[in-house]
Amino acid sequence: MRAKKIFEMAVSNLKQRKLRTALTTLGVIVGITTIIGLASLGEGLRTDVKTRMQAGFELNNLVVFPGSFTAGFGEPFEQTDLSNIRNVSNVQLATGMRTLAEVIVYNASDARLRAVTVAGINFTEMQQMLPERFRLTAGAFPSDNDTGSIVLGYTAAASNETRSVNVGDNVTLVITLHPSPTISYNINETLTVSGILQEAGTSGITNFDYWAFIPMSKATAIEFGRESYQIILVRVTDAEQESQTATNIENTFNNPYRVTVFVPSSFMQQVDNILNIIQIFLLAVASISLLVAGIGIMNIMTVSVMERTREVGILKAIGAKSRTVLTMFLTEAAIIGIAGGLIGILIGYGTSYALASVLSNFIQPQQTTLFSTPGTQALSITPIFTPQWTIAAFIFAVTVCIVFGLYPARKASKLNPVEALHYE
Amino acid sequence: MRCDVPSILEVRDVKKSYRLGKIHVPALCGVSLDAKEGEFLTIFGPSGSGKSTLLHLLGGLDRPDEGEILIDGSNILRLSDSSLAELRLTKIGFIFQFFNLLPRITALDNVELPLTIAGVPDKETRDRAKRMLKSMSLDSRESHRPYELSGGEQQRVAIARALVTNPKIVLADEPTGNLDTKTGWEIVQLMKKINREGNQTFIVVTHDPRIAEEADRTIHLRDGLIETITAGNRKGAGQE
Repeated sequence: MRAKKIFEMAVSNLKQRKLRTALTTLGVIVGITTIIGLASLGEGLRTDVKTRMQAGFELNNLVVFPGSFTAGFGEPFEQTDLSNIRNVSNVQLATGMRTLAEVIVYNASDARLRAVTVAGINFTEMQQMLPERFRLTAGAFPSDNDTGSIVLGYTAAASNETRSVNVGDNVTLVITLHPSPTISYNINETLTVSGILQEAGTSGITNFDYWAFIPMSKATAIEFGRESYQIILVRVTDAEQESQTATNIENTFNNPYRVTVFVPSSFMQQVDNILNIIQIFLLAVASISLLVAGIGIMNIMTVSVMERTREVGILKAIGAKSRTVLTMFLTEAAIIGIAGGLIGILIGYGTSYALASVLSNFIQPQQTTLFSTPGTQALSITPIFTPQWTIAAFIFAVTVCIVFGLYPARKASKLNPVEALHYE
Repeated sequence: MRCDVPSILEVRDVKKSYRLGKIHVPALCGVSLDAKEGEFLTIFGPSGSGKSTLLHLLGGLDRPDEGEILIDGSNILRLSDSSLAELRLTKIGFIFQFFNLLPRITALDNVELPLTIAGVPDKETRDRAKRMLKSMSLDSRESHRPYELSGGEQQRVAIARALVTNPKIVLADEPTGNLDTKTGWEIVQLMKKINREGNQTFIVVTHDPRIAEEADRTIHLRDGLIETITAGNRKGAGQE
């Protein structure tokens, strides 16, 4: 019997039992809708998180800290450490930052500014290192030997919620120095604001909105020391080689506890893995609903085979082979799978858009939580439909239907024609 | 019986029993017969005599426990299920007491069914089925479903379905059993006409002595054994 005819007969058989076919197909539709919905939302969530992280962690930048998690923060890096790092292959650019330990910044009217950290940097190198983030909203960057100027981060230029300093104003830094564990004293430095940074939001390991920057030479002078760095930022040429470059940087130090290299892409890889696991878990749950649909198909088809026993007997008496009967019933199951799969995919598309908008409204960032900062953007999931998921869901639907249809179809094909003909 | 005509069906000492729970119920206890090409045979006997069992074996719907059945030279015991189905499709046509038409499809579709199963191209299938229905004077009933037809019409559709593949053997199980006398008689005459014109072998299981009278030979079965074989009064039929 030709495949086309078997298909036509299967369609006609399904049409003759419209309600039953519709209900059976509904089970498959629900399963596939769930799978597509969860897959596309999961994919959307993953992409959203990735995009945020890519924007946040300049991915071709490494952050080098002195010390290690086991040994604690170590002594700042020396200039030779920086030049060694610059010589590592794949390092395009490296610049050091010297953070002042305890500083409070006041404006001219003695209002405390929201600056949290004051760091000495090389302005020229810093602009090259973070071209997207290290930008001014007002004023200009000072030259690196201008010891009387300061650049404030967006929030650092505010006291309470409002901007309370402008370019050209003076600010006073009250710096607490600890020359030895038992001695500490304050010194005051008055500097002129030469520029205010754009709002950058939480990015990478910190939020520069809360920082203030002074030339490295000034920071060194304040602490009466040689030029040294608590942080070295490294830009690599080839982001793919980042981990290797990190190892090479570590190897420029004799003591492995002396240095920690933070590789944003490896962190991102971990997050990606976690998102993957969550997505697979969700899909596993969704798959259960499709299995339930499969059992529904088996149930309905078994009843259907019993009802059609006589019909099978007639077909066999006329000369239909067992294989033909098997194929006919399996084709019916497959058609339910194909129809349910296609409709489920379409409804899944619609449902996931609806769900995404509901979820996006629900999950607004809480301003009061520990991790959120004013720069955190609202969450918005856009479902993403990958052809892989769509095809996989479709194949899954058809496979489940055929697998669960196999038992009743075999039962039909094995019917003894004489007994089947006398079945009432 | 004409001796110069080759046998199309040969049955040698066939035994068949059924299992009812733990006991075996013998249905046929050693039956031998043969049928010639173009012969019109009736199998006559009371209920439980094994008529239907014999007919099912002759049609390759079931296999004997012992003995041999050769249908057009093929020993059905040696055929696979698939080959047996093929044999039913190409060489045998079945007519049943309760018509056994598929209820949800039209008369034409029912007649097309064996050709469809055989994989005959669509157009040829349609043409042959239409021609067959026309020869049964059912051309106006093509698009009717079985429940829209009278008993006689349904049986004629069933006959059309049995004949559409042009089988060598037509087996009928009480074909008039579910029809009124007049319609039954028309069906008998129709089968006889086809038998005469197409030289197809007809084997008809019946209770109806009038059919037996029309046959070349009648096989009388009782308790799973052939009691006698009598010649009918059909014109040209020989004496056993």
